[in-house]
Amino acid sequence: MFEYILSILIFFPALAAILGLALNKDSIKAYGIVVSAIEFLLALMLWYAYDAGVTGMQFVESVAIVEAFGVHYLVGVDGISLFIIILAAFFTLIGIASLPEMKNIKNLIITLLFMQMTMVGVFAALDVILFYIFWELSLVPMLYIIGAWGGPRRVYASVKFFLYTFAGSMFLLVGILYMGYAYHDATGIWSFSLLDWYESATLPFNVQLWLFGAFFLGFAVKVPMFPFHTWLPYAHGEAPTIGSVILAAILLKMGTYAFVRFSLPLFPDASYYFMVPIAIISIIMIVYTAMVAYAQKDVKQVVAYSSISHMGVIILGTFALNVEGISGAVFLMIAHGVVSGALFLLVGVIYERRHTKLMSEFGGLATVMPYYATIFGVFMLASVGMPLTINFVGEFLCLLGFYEQSHTLTLLAGLAIIVGAIYMLAAFKKLFFGEVTNEKNRNLPDVTKTELVALLPLVVITIWLGVYPKPVLGPIDNSVKPLVQMMHDRAITPEAQAAIASPLVPKEAR
Amino acid sequence: MLEPIVVTLEELNLITLVPMCIAIFGALLIICIDLVKERLDKSFYLMITLLFLAVDFVAVLASAGLFEQVGSVRGFFDVMFIDGLAILGQLIIVGASMLFIPLALTSKRFHEYNYPEYFGMFLFMVGGFQFMVATDNLILIFVGLETASLALYTLIALHNRDKSFEAAIKYFTMGALGAALFSFGAMLLYAVSGSIEIAHIAAVVKADEYANIEILLVGVVMLLAALGLKVSLVPFHTWLPDVYEGSSAALAGYMSIVPKIAAFVVAMRLFEFLIHSGVVWLEVILYAVVVLTMTAANLWALVQSDVKRMLAYSSISHAGFVMAAILIATTQANSALFIYWILFSFTNLGAFTMLWVSRQKDLLPGQSSDHPYDKFSGMIRTMPVAAVVMGLFMLSLAGMPPFAMFWGKLYMISAAVNAEYVILALIMAINSAIAAYYYLKLIVYMFMKEPHYEGMQQYYMTNSSGALKTIIGFAAFATVFIFLALNPIMEFVTALVQKSGF
Repeated sequence: MFEYILSILIFFPALAAILGLALNKDSIKAYGIVVSAIEFLLALMLWYAYDAGVTGMQFVESVAIVEAFGVHYLVGVDGISLFIIILAAFFTLIGIASLPEMKNIKNLIITLLFMQMTMVGVFAALDVILFYIFWELSLVPMLYIIGAWGGPRRVYASVKFFLYTFAGSMFLLVGILYMGYAYHDATGIWSFSLLDWYESATLPFNVQLWLFGAFFLGFAVKVPMFPFHTWLPYAHGEAPTIGSVILAAILLKMGTYAFVRFSLPLFPDASYYFMVPIAIISIIMIVYTAMVAYAQKDVKQVVAYSSISHMGVIILGTFALNVEGISGAVFLMIAHGVVSGALFLLVGVIYERRHTKLMSEFGGLATVMPYYATIFGVFMLASVGMPLTINFVGEFLCLLGFYEQSHTLTLLAGLAIIVGAIYMLAAFKKLFFGEVTNEKNRNLPDVTKTELVALLPLVVITIWLGVYPKPVLGPIDNSVKPLVQMMHDRAITPEAQAAIASPLVPKEAR
Repeated sequence: MLEPIVVTLEELNLITLVPMCIAIFGALLIICIDLVKERLDKSFYLMITLLFLAVDFVAVLASAGLFEQVGSVRGFFDVMFIDGLAILGQLIIVGASMLFIPLALTSKRFHEYNYPEYFGMFLFMVGGFQFMVATDNLILIFVGLETASLALYTLIALHNRDKSFEAAIKYFTMGALGAALFSFGAMLLYAVSGSIEIAHIAAVVKADEYANIEILLVGVVMLLAALGLKVSLVPFHTWLPDVYEGSSAALAGYMSIVPKIAAFVVAMRLFEFLIHSGVVWLEVILYAVVVLTMTAANLWALVQSDVKRMLAYSSISHAGFVMAAILIATTQANSALFIYWILFSFTNLGAFTMLWVSRQKDLLPGQSSDHPYDKFSGMIRTMPVAAVVMGLFMLSLAGMPPFAMFWGKLYMISAAVNAEYVILALIMAINSAIAAYYYLKLIVYMFMKEPHYEGMQQYYMTNSSGALKTIIGFAAFATVFIFLALNPIMEFVTALVQKSGF
């Protein structure tokens, strides 16, 4: 009965969005909540029906779109994509639920529902062209959300966001087409199915390098990796709360997910070849953006730069090229989604009340808004990687994984993360501690019920998965193992084969 | 003393002439009806035109069936040459004409549609373009080209705006230059090979092992310039933005599709054998023209302040993109050219019709052109559906998946990659990224700015009618869902191109 659940997950929000066009705008918010709640339940059903014991793709559907050119509608999930899909459904739900009154709310909710289709589609697509379709299509709703509901420089921010990612994607497209050509050359059949590509012979080393580069440009802009990150602070700075939440929680994960899904297994030797340079870029990302975050006056920018910093850890874990690192990276994608999404929601809460995000305007909020301060504190600690919170598990595994590849770099990265804690603590101090200096803050209401409904589940997840990550980490681990095994098998240079340890062989035997 | 030539009727193979004759007969019929009974409504002539075009389309399809069975056919003293390219070219020409001529059904009155001759000339033009693609005889190509162009100049001039005369004269002058270049180039090819049939020329030149390469090159460059004037390759594009601006949006959209595909087919026939000749110079010249056309047009389009002029430059850029197929010259590339153009015609139909419905009688206060970006600002507030549809066409033109143009772009870049033109593929990709900006600009105006003019609604849909809305709806539907029909289109086109030996 679950054969078509993925297609339903992808197209249900789109259908709902089209029907929503006819809705009265007073009841559109309720409609949005109902639709995204159903979508979330469907996502939970997907988790329920997902068999964690089976390796490989599940709920696979395949329909030819352009048979002559090998383009299929091919979707499926494994442990790597499953939880990101659930996360996407979850954040759309709480994002819509926590929407304040704003102009043109009908357009916003319809856009969000379209956005949801593209997000689920990206993570479910197993045909590379289909992936590319959703990948590109996800830009349009976000462009509109930032550009229409954003701050004063919204048009600049949204266009910059769009053009950066679009330009990166063009290189990705050429890379994809070259892969398709190489596959056609080797087998005589046109196919853009990732599963077929996994089965095909590995490309020669120098071709891998070029293709890795092309894919890298597409993905790195999205992550965003240093030095392609400059669009992100603008986008976050101008975006409305809902835009920032979706952007940080889900859209950035597309890039890191794509690294795991495409770059690593398709180009194992190139991945190994570029491991150290990318690790260095990651460490620069972690340290540099942490420093920039410290210098920010705007609390939203602090969270934005902290996002980039954490994405650096995810990239580091991904390029550890072993089970610990990649599992940790995938787990950290979810963790970072939850925590940064929550932080942006929290920033939205005070922005709603004061219409400013400057930290100098606040201070001493802990006495005025105690609940708010507590919840913020929880996520602040999670963000710096406090043990027993969700982020800690991911960061720890990422570093553990990379420790096997390079002690020095891991040490540097570990130190950098600790240094990174400073800016979060400093921001927390500026916002909450001390006397209430600004008279405007004296009578701020604490979190409302609606806001609590959105935030409390996130608190629960943050602590629950921090204490007991197994329900999520288990399936991820199960799917990462065959991935690493595949990388090991597909590697053609002896160095890469040695460095990418087969998870089937116990550690002592290596 | 000339020997008497005996030709039997079978040898004439008059069936090859049938599609063009249908169009021409239709044109003559319209003019005759006008002689008998005056003051018939434009809708009457329009429907007659559509009917003849439909029959014409079916006749071309029938010749496609014949082609499947027996292959290429020659006819009428061997000047007619019906192969896959001729059939595809004619299908696109007649099909696009059928899509664009109903744009005459506006709610406002335009005096050009009151002349039955408008429709007559339209059919003559279609016939001319059909002749142009259905032959490999340089003289017949020339005749077809000139017939069609003369009709087109007149159609442009009939539009009642000051700029229309300027546009028509400009186009006429450039067209005359093109005609001169074409005839001179053809003469040089004749001097080299002693033949005016492209197939013969190819054979003779090859047999001579490119002995007179200098003359050949000069001839080819002249032909390239002549065709470049029609296709609007940089640096022969200068007339195009002004002509688009001066002519009605309906005709400008038509001009962005039909004359170009006809010229592309001729270019394909002409350059195919030259590209494969291994003469490096030809490849270099074409390569330079392709890259220059794509890039320069994109850069110019960035700074336009009028949507119609932006679309004009964008169509130059698309032409450069497609010209790459002729450079690559593989079966996939040549098929990609036709597929791209089919997809392009649907999207451009939509975009230009959207401009056409917003054609108001007087210019907006403080504006010097018909469709400044400002006019569209805040459209999502005043006309949400129209804004979404226009946004859709812009996204499609930018190559956003899964809309129509994305597939064309995909297949074209894939053709470049498969032929090991990786640098060219990258240039094409980068150009797509540049192009995204100016399409996005209109979206920014429509979705992210406040309405600029009071009572935009009355300005905006001023020219719309049920028929135009239907056409826009159809174009939008095709733009979004054409990927479902892409497989049969791709197979049909590829089969025809392959069987013609291209």
